[in-house]
Amino acid sequence: MQEQILFDQDFLEKLKTIAREGVNNAASGFSGMVGRTIRFNYPVARLVPVLSIPQIVGRPEDEAVGIYLRFMGDLAGQIMMIIPHQKALELVDLLMDVPLGTTQHLGQLERSALGELGNLCGSFFLNSMAGKVNADFRPSPPAVMVDMIGAILEIVVLTTGGISEEALLVQANFMDGSRSVDADFWVIPDLNSLQDLIKKNSVV
Amino acid sequence: MKETNVGLGEQAVSRSPEDVLVAYGLGSCVGVVMIDPVSHASGLLHAVLPKRTAGISTNDANPSKYVEGGVEGLVAALVKAGANRNRLITRIVGGANMLIPSGLTKSFDIGTRNIEAARTTLNRLRMPISVEEVGGHTGRTVRVYVADSRVTVRVIGEKEREI
Repeated sequence: MQEQILFDQDFLEKLKTIAREGVNNAASGFSGMVGRTIRFNYPVARLVPVLSIPQIVGRPEDEAVGIYLRFMGDLAGQIMMIIPHQKALELVDLLMDVPLGTTQHLGQLERSALGELGNLCGSFFLNSMAGKVNADFRPSPPAVMVDMIGAILEIVVLTTGGISEEALLVQANFMDGSRSVDADFWVIPDLNSLQDLIKKNSVV
Repeated sequence: MKETNVGLGEQAVSRSPEDVLVAYGLGSCVGVVMIDPVSHASGLLHAVLPKRTAGISTNDANPSKYVEGGVEGLVAALVKAGANRNRLITRIVGGANMLIPSGLTKSFDIGTRNIEAARTTLNRLRMPISVEEVGGHTGRTVRVYVADSRVTVRVIGEKEREI
């Protein structure tokens, strides 16, 4: 039987430190892509009940954009960026370098731009983590969803919920003061593969 | 009117006319609505996955998380609340595939599997489905108005409509 590793407070603190560098790297990529300095708050790492995930940001019926990717390799998991709909429109203005208020609708082109942003942030985060723990991660292409927050976040629940009652959630927030780009950045490592990685590397 | 939020892996049953049972933003999850129009006993299940994964033991005693056990639990709760099983009118909502534009979708169409699990379970229980509002690629909010047995669905950018 596989030995269980406890995700205690000490472990979560160490994970948070590693994640901070990853988020910092993702924020640099984000800043480079939009041509402005994107700040981030320090990420939190915590265990959350899987079924409560759709209620962690906003109300489940609110409209938002979710940019979702998975990663495989030495560690498997999911990355989700959640952006309120109005903020996503502003973000597209920044990405396309057009005046604020130009983008009114998220068509194929706009979704693709947001997908690229998620792809870049995810890759920058994973590259930083990979260097830190000497492991190899491969991200999937991003999926962009424009829908109710509840429906978007269900993806995370479905992927995790059949296996575990709790998910390890690393949560950060990207901000741009003047134009208040407000994006939640989540990383949800698969608990089994995280345990395997810890045993192999004594990474944390 | 009092809205009762039926979250993931939950069910609610009511006969109070002021109650509205709501499952917000159903994506790949499936909502099962059952109403006895005579007693007005009404129930809503918000199931997440088709059935327990074989070989994986979680400490999960919650049958409403799974379509299979959840439907059976909903029928039992409604009968306990005074519904006549043979009068129950059943609707299913949800089961969307939210990841259609990406390469992730093939390995991940849990929405379709949830719909199939609902159909199979209801067929086994010999309970016909009167309305299906399922599939597609958008989230749905479902409301059950206990007072007059109305059931509505809303998607982003549209008004609430009766099904």
